[in-house]
Amino acid sequence: MPWELIFFYIIGAASVLCALGMVLAKNPVHSGIFLVLTFLNVAGIFVMLGAEFLAVIQIIVYTGAILILMLFVLMLVDPDDLPSFSSAAPLQRNLSLVLGVVLVLELAATIITRTALGGVGPDTPASIDSVGGNAQALGLRLYSDYLLAFEVTSLVLTVGVIGAVVLALPERLGERIQRRRDTISLAHPRGADGFLPAGPRGETPITTDIERDVAMQNAGRALIMTKDPDAYTRVGVRQGRPDANDAN
Amino acid sequence: MADQPIWVSFIVAFIVLNVLLISMAYMTWFERKVLAAMQDRVGPTRSGPHGLYQPLADAVKLLGKEDLVPAAADKWVFLFAPVAVFVAALTAASVIPFGGTLDLWGHEVNLFAADLNVGALFVLAVGSAGVYGIILGAWASANRYALLGGLRSAAQVISYELILGFSLVGIFILSGTLSLRGIMVEQSRSLEIGPLHISNWFILSQPLAFVLFLIAAVAETNRAPFDLPEAETELVSGFHTEYSGFRFSLYFLGEYINMIVVSLFASTLFLGGTDGPGADTYWALGLLWLFLKTIAFLFFYVWLRATLPRFRFDQLMGLAWKVLLPLALFNIFITALLRIIANGQLF
Repeated sequence: MPWELIFFYIIGAASVLCALGMVLAKNPVHSGIFLVLTFLNVAGIFVMLGAEFLAVIQIIVYTGAILILMLFVLMLVDPDDLPSFSSAAPLQRNLSLVLGVVLVLELAATIITRTALGGVGPDTPASIDSVGGNAQALGLRLYSDYLLAFEVTSLVLTVGVIGAVVLALPERLGERIQRRRDTISLAHPRGADGFLPAGPRGETPITTDIERDVAMQNAGRALIMTKDPDAYTRVGVRQGRPDANDAN
Repeated sequence: MADQPIWVSFIVAFIVLNVLLISMAYMTWFERKVLAAMQDRVGPTRSGPHGLYQPLADAVKLLGKEDLVPAAADKWVFLFAPVAVFVAALTAASVIPFGGTLDLWGHEVNLFAADLNVGALFVLAVGSAGVYGIILGAWASANRYALLGGLRSAAQVISYELILGFSLVGIFILSGTLSLRGIMVEQSRSLEIGPLHISNWFILSQPLAFVLFLIAAVAETNRAPFDLPEAETELVSGFHTEYSGFRFSLYFLGEYINMIVVSLFASTLFLGGTDGPGADTYWALGLLWLFLKTIAFLFFYVWLRATLPRFRFDQLMGLAWKVLLPLALFNIFITALLRIIANGQLF
């Protein structure tokens, strides 16, 4: 048996097993790890097919950026707070089923036309070599034949970026002042803003002793903490781990 | 590239691997000596002449320590994570070219483990895969300081990898290849401007990209002044708080090997790799040039650590996204424009 075939079976089996592990793992972070391994194995298959550029880009984009951000979120969320599959809204569940079936049919159609029916794409190894490698060949195709699709994709991504900026936009100045009045941070140098008398504030610092005296007289408000002190010091509760309490 | 039997590649890779490990050990000695000199101390002196046996003693000490696993840790992830960092750091070295093709005892020997046609991107890809070792180890430790360090590391590496990648685009535009060997060969040509013969090192044609690369590389390897993931003043020691013994040493090895690989990478991309006087005739001289260039970068790393205080995290992210990224895009734009003008496609 040629070496390439043996390696293909090993990498292929590994990627299928990791994909299964990703679906079956109970802990979301473990699912994420299995997904990383699946991506790496699929990148290995790309390399064996001579598509090194695709393999490297897959690792940089999916493994290196997207999945890290997903893990980032998973590590901060308590797994108990995540919605379970069975409790999802019926619309959500049915929609995901339909989309899943469509994806499988799409992939099946591609595989049948390209492999079973023997159809070939426009590029051959000779044509790829003639432009200097598969990175160059991919670039030429992307920026000529598929330029429209490429630009539409970039538009979609721009919309995504704008959405993220809007979501993460700092609160308006009025809201920020209101919040600072309600929460007193004793250690923060500007935590004393709450001692100011009622009226427009935030922009006008206390400058004279008389102003300060007036401010201190009005400082009778109760201290409001965002969290009770016990929340910071409870023992045996850890973040993002399901089996926290049965470890001992 | 001459085809060579696979066992020759294995031998070259074996030698590269071992040289890297030994240089890593002596990198710690070099760092301590240089730091000591900068702080008016003497550094290690007790074991061996000039403290030269110190790295060996450290290694024995670390290997002899107990391998602790916290009771609440996710055991398998905790055990595996340091290995991922170590493996990723070593894998990146496999595409660094150490010279051309030699004729040794009747065999054609290539002085590199692999000449991937996307070598430069491969180093970036392996670097980004290496972050998993840090973030998973941090999570599996079940320790909040560690988790915070891991999250910082993930955010930092994603941001600075963008800068790292973009700073290389100018080089790709100028050299027309993604292969590290191709980039090195491109730089060994010499430009003739009138009576002057200037070597075509990319540091001369891409000075802005070089500065950006240098900053991003320091952040990418989690070194001072960007060592936020293990900021000991606030996070105990960050992502490896819970690690001890040889698993800690794997993280440690990974960090230093990353420094060496990034220095080799920078020398290859911007300083012509093995290019230098006499390197065409004697391959060993080429290796010497590469070694000296790499030492210069490593010295720069240590120098930074001795000089600059640590950044605050929002300053770190602000620097990446508000200063470095626009500069990198500007550099790409200018380089592409000049390239089009030089090709005569614009006018």
